[in-house]
Amino acid sequence: MLFNSLTFVVFFVTVVAAYWSIRSWNARKNLLVVASYIFYGAWNPPFAALLFSTTAMDFWLGRQMSRAKGRRSRRAWLVASVCMNLSMLGFFKYGNFLLQNFQWLLARIGIIYQPPHLDILLPVGISFYTFHSLSYTLDIYRDVLKPTKSLRDFVLAVSFFPQLVAGPIVRAGDFLPQLVRPQPLRPGQFLWGLLLMTLGLFEKIVLADTMLSGSADRIFTYAGPLIALDSWLGVMAFAGQIFFDFAGYSTCAIGAALCLGFHLKDNFRFPYAAIGFSDFWRRWHISLSTFLRDYLYIPLGGNQVRPVRAGTNLVVVMFLGGLWHGAAWTFVVWGLLHGSYLVVERVVRALFQHRAWANHLATRILGGFATYAAVCIAWVFFRASDFTVAARMLGGMFGGHPHGDAILSTREILQIALVTAGMILVHWSLRDSNIETAVMRLPRWVVTATWAFMACAIILTQGSSNAFIYFQF
Amino acid sequence: MPSSISNFKRRLRLPRLFFRKPTQVESVHGGPPLEYVRPIPQLAWRGITVTVVLIVIAAASAWELYCRSIGYGPTLNDNEDLWTSARRRVKPESIVIIGDSRGWYDLDLDELEKGLGKRPVQLAMGGGCAYPVLEDLANDENFHGTVICSVVPRLLVAPPGSPPMDRAGKAVRRSHTQTPAQRASQYLAMPLEEHVAFLKQEELTLDDLLKRLPIPNRPNAQVQPRLPPYFGTLDRERRARMIEECARPGSELAKMTQKIWIPLFTPPPPPAYIPEKEFAKTMGQAINQRFNDVAAAVQKLRARGAKIVFVRFPYSGGLKTLEDRETPRAGIWDRVLKDTGAPGIYYEDFPDLAGFNCPEWSHLSAGDSMEFTKRLIPRLRAALQM
Repeated sequence: MLFNSLTFVVFFVTVVAAYWSIRSWNARKNLLVVASYIFYGAWNPPFAALLFSTTAMDFWLGRQMSRAKGRRSRRAWLVASVCMNLSMLGFFKYGNFLLQNFQWLLARIGIIYQPPHLDILLPVGISFYTFHSLSYTLDIYRDVLKPTKSLRDFVLAVSFFPQLVAGPIVRAGDFLPQLVRPQPLRPGQFLWGLLLMTLGLFEKIVLADTMLSGSADRIFTYAGPLIALDSWLGVMAFAGQIFFDFAGYSTCAIGAALCLGFHLKDNFRFPYAAIGFSDFWRRWHISLSTFLRDYLYIPLGGNQVRPVRAGTNLVVVMFLGGLWHGAAWTFVVWGLLHGSYLVVERVVRALFQHRAWANHLATRILGGFATYAAVCIAWVFFRASDFTVAARMLGGMFGGHPHGDAILSTREILQIALVTAGMILVHWSLRDSNIETAVMRLPRWVVTATWAFMACAIILTQGSSNAFIYFQF
Repeated sequence: MPSSISNFKRRLRLPRLFFRKPTQVESVHGGPPLEYVRPIPQLAWRGITVTVVLIVIAAASAWELYCRSIGYGPTLNDNEDLWTSARRRVKPESIVIIGDSRGWYDLDLDELEKGLGKRPVQLAMGGGCAYPVLEDLANDENFHGTVICSVVPRLLVAPPGSPPMDRAGKAVRRSHTQTPAQRASQYLAMPLEEHVAFLKQEELTLDDLLKRLPIPNRPNAQVQPRLPPYFGTLDRERRARMIEECARPGSELAKMTQKIWIPLFTPPPPPAYIPEKEFAKTMGQAINQRFNDVAAAVQKLRARGAKIVFVRFPYSGGLKTLEDRETPRAGIWDRVLKDTGAPGIYYEDFPDLAGFNCPEWSHLSAGDSMEFTKRLIPRLRAALQM
């Protein structure tokens, strides 16, 4: 079920009305479990069974792990959980990719093998709910979480519908404590949740889909060479589109959860105002970057190992982060590129961080724009359907096609320029703040007018919108 | 000796809060405390919300009144979900209309039901290529009914990836992959679309309004030609009917639509990055492939006992001049009939069908579509040996 659909409007109104009219906390939680499974099953009912089986297995494995005496047996239960989750993800998401690469490898040594094409349908949001569920057993192993006694609570923690299919990746350890007792609604919480949902939908439907996606699609699917201006505009359009698409979903999820009395953490913190790549990853898809940091980077040694090893670890983590996004080498290159950026940044920081000019305002602004440009270059691999497209785009961006085509209309150029400039301006003005503080500082009439404007613009787009990009992950 | 967990904590250097002993409440799950409570801006939310609701209602009402005042009326949007609901009605022995908007506007379902004894299912679509739907029916092992295929040559041989193929392909794909949520959304949307005039997905969305801004372009900018404005209504059976304003000879709407057909039906120049000869060769191969595919699909249908007839519907004015020049009858129409061996009805071959005039050059008015269908029925019966 898409947030930007009429079905969701009816579903959400019904769930919220039923939820707040029920007094019993247990009945409320039961309602949310049923609602979450309806939300998920409305896409493809049989996959709800897959979701439940993954969840139930991790619940059981978590229990076994907590009962195990020795460190070895605890580790064995953890390995079982990790293998179960990753094999599920591997089969559904990477099955065909692995087969194709296996075929390619065999061909290199002269063996012709024609594997059967597996007609695998990717369960929506499998990458997200696998991580929701996996965080539970990982935290029990790390001794930072005791297993819950309630299967219902754990099922709800994994499948809570606002964050189920496209994040944020809410760890069981962050959500289960909220199920202990009912969270009272604080003054303004419900309506603030509605405003956040409006903002999220506005970002997705109006800014991502209406203002940017058409131009980005046109540029990335154009088969001929493009001049630098159009190439850069296409990449900038995609940079904005993916931010508004994904941040919009997260904002909707946070708003919907608030309306039901739950608190989800921020998933984005004005990422295009980042100065440097470590700063970028503290602001972009925070729930994934902290997941990878806590469960992969730190266990690999984190920053406590020799610099070369730490750099290698960074690249490995970003390689896996890239692969998490999609079963294609272009995603891997995107991840490796970000890993390399992080390594280069460490070296640069080590060399220059104590220089006086390093903290100068001009340096910081320059660093911000350099970060944005480098992130845009990486987005080329994220969006391109294959390396030929990526090479053509990069060729265009760096002046390789001075006599290439200029295909964007003036309207499209204006839309990209205005939305990108507005986005960067907002990110920089709020980079050390948050949206709540910003809203508090605004005059009441500005809040009212902005909310009304966003709602009217959403109505004007008439829901003729695409699915969220991150659904495919 | 410190435990391995302590070592782990030390190495992590995480704050004390994270590892402190759980309180009574927290120990139900034993997890860390609820670390994060989102801040809620303290504003006069009730007043703000009421004002926002009033503004939105007022703005939507004003927009609705304005849209009605300039000629728009409530009607369903022809999207993939509405098409899917029609596709679902196809029974093994159904009569199915496929192809482009001429088969959509020019055939009256009531008249066809009277004349052929069965109510046809309308699967033709505006600006759509017939092939993906024909292929879908050919692959449907249960189907052995009758197909009436409208032919606009340029649309029938539209290459893969072109808008006519995309439009039809998306609808077919949706009919195979429609989720319960999409189906529910369609049922919820229909009553709204039947009462609200500004809900026009290909006409009055923010995107369409922005596209209409009169901003001059760079010389080489590749701008898609504008689609025709709202000139017809659609019901739940996907019956399309031209609105009276457009049917009125010489009306502004009809004139505006006529102007839009010309660029839409004019072949675009070949892309600059492919040599002209190579492009012509590729296109020639693609068109040949389409003839082969159409013939194969027809063969498959007929092998199961299904019947098919190709129909060329009336078109007039400047559009007729353009179409006859770019896609003469001997080129695509004759080849389709020859390759498939299927019967065809070319409206110009029959004096009683040839006398109709299309107000906007491409489609018949609602009244004419009934008369045209009445006159077409004997020809259909003969062609289909019914």
